[in-house]
Amino acid sequence: MRRIKSSIVDGVGFDLLLVGIPLVFLILFSGLPLLYNVLMSFQEVDLFSLGDVFRPFVGLDNYRALLAQPEFWPIMWNTVIFVTCSIGGQFLLGFALAVFFNTGFRGSTFIRGLFLVSWVMPGLVVGATWNWILAGDFGVLNYILDSLGLISKNIFWRSDIDYSLWAVVITNIWLGTAFNMILLSVGLAGIPKDLYEAASLDGATAFQQFWTITVPMMRSTTGAVICLGLIFTLQQFDLFAAITSGGPANSSNVAQYWAWELSFRQYDFARGAAISTIMIAFVMIASVFYVRSTRHEVRG
Amino acid sequence: MTRNMNRLYLALAIIFALVYLFPLYWMYVTAIKSGSEIFSYPPTFVPTDPQWGVFAHVWEIRDMGRFIWNSLVIATGTMVLVATLGTGCAYVLARYRNGWINLALFLVLMLQVLPASLMVTPLFVGFSALGLLDYPRFAVILAVTAKAMPFFVILVRATFMAVPAELEEAALVDGNSRIGAFWSVVLPLARNGVLVSAILIFMQAFGEFVYSKSIIQDVSLQPASVGLNAFMGPNTVEWNNIMAYASIYVTPILAAFVLLQQRIVAGLTSGALK
Repeated sequence: MRRIKSSIVDGVGFDLLLVGIPLVFLILFSGLPLLYNVLMSFQEVDLFSLGDVFRPFVGLDNYRALLAQPEFWPIMWNTVIFVTCSIGGQFLLGFALAVFFNTGFRGSTFIRGLFLVSWVMPGLVVGATWNWILAGDFGVLNYILDSLGLISKNIFWRSDIDYSLWAVVITNIWLGTAFNMILLSVGLAGIPKDLYEAASLDGATAFQQFWTITVPMMRSTTGAVICLGLIFTLQQFDLFAAITSGGPANSSNVAQYWAWELSFRQYDFARGAAISTIMIAFVMIASVFYVRSTRHEVRG
Repeated sequence: MTRNMNRLYLALAIIFALVYLFPLYWMYVTAIKSGSEIFSYPPTFVPTDPQWGVFAHVWEIRDMGRFIWNSLVIATGTMVLVATLGTGCAYVLARYRNGWINLALFLVLMLQVLPASLMVTPLFVGFSALGLLDYPRFAVILAVTAKAMPFFVILVRATFMAVPAELEEAALVDGNSRIGAFWSVVLPLARNGVLVSAILIFMQAFGEFVYSKSIIQDVSLQPASVGLNAFMGPNTVEWNNIMAYASIYVTPILAAFVLLQQRIVAGLTSGALK
């Protein structure tokens, strides 16, 4: 007993304790639910058997039922559009801003930091604000687009099935641009300055320098940022809840919102678990790429 | 860079920032407009008749004190739990380098990526089996902690890596125990990084929505995010009141962020992607 105690105060036990308790916590509240989710997706779950672990096993029935629902493929397609367009927009805007702020004029650090307020705001507040900006008749976005001559009649962003998904995409791009910019700034700051000096001595224009130095040197950062973007975009839920609720007629529904709807609106926990399992598999694959792209971090 | 170039860039940067932060401005401006002015077209960019009483009014009619209190309970509980558990974990993961540590890091990174809206189904069912749904705020704290801790560990680990190992070794040679050296030498040196990361976790938990919305059924225990969601019905016309609610909810976070901006950005850039 005393040996164990002294090991905790002054030996390996100290390290094991420090790292062990959090890992057990994570496994209990993250790892086990993950496995439980997979198990549940193969079971028949109703409100009366919610508390049980062992329920009737139904094999792939939940998955089959999901695939047979007419909204399955449209929602999957929406998810693909939402993810690619959000990441594309966030990355391009973030990259442009990062390059701009990397010129290092006085005040650049402070102003760049201000952009991050979009990232610390509660998702529901962002969603509510954009919900109002995107309003059809009185929305300020329509007014601005109209004043610029870009549209001739008001777009009903939230209630037109052709635009509802884009309402959320625009908001999500706004939300994520700042974070992308900060992460890309780190990568830009890591490019040795003498590369640019050497290139300009050789007579390379700013444009050439960008394509032959900046872009190739940013390759690993870009990979990591895009993987992170994929992970964060697939986590986006609050904006859907605050702007369109997945509607109208599922036109802006995506997998992560649908999974929640199935479980907590239709109380079909088995199907909710099935779609969650499919999506978690995708996220896991993305995160393996992410971990690989940051492996110098992981291995030190 | 010449002086004029500097000014030009600064002016451009300010314009970019103003365009980018316009939604925030619009939130505050809409809040203080009158119920008829919000529906004027073309919209007014400076309110003609500011209604400063709207904040007190909304605070009263939506019972915001209770919502904000619940948000504070959840955010504080999460922050304390994450910092207590995560700091030691980050320290050990920063101090050693071997296969086991790599495995633990990999596990932490993988658990960081699980979307809350997908994990809430098994967590809800599991919590209901354990009877934790009777203590819904506590259940939410547990769930948010599991979600937020990996991020905290990654950030704080970077801080601990910057603390020279020699200092700790010197403390051990001077007769400190491991706990003593950690507590009185390593931790004080990493204090800033730990604090900033903890504040980030607080902000994240203060705005948390998915878990609270799904797990907390009792309105009197719901946080402000769920309250805001309930306030926004599909055909609402009260946009000035909704924006006032949002303003009250977000302003403390924005104030904290502006005060700590430089440290937060430095913490993020050293830990998140290096």
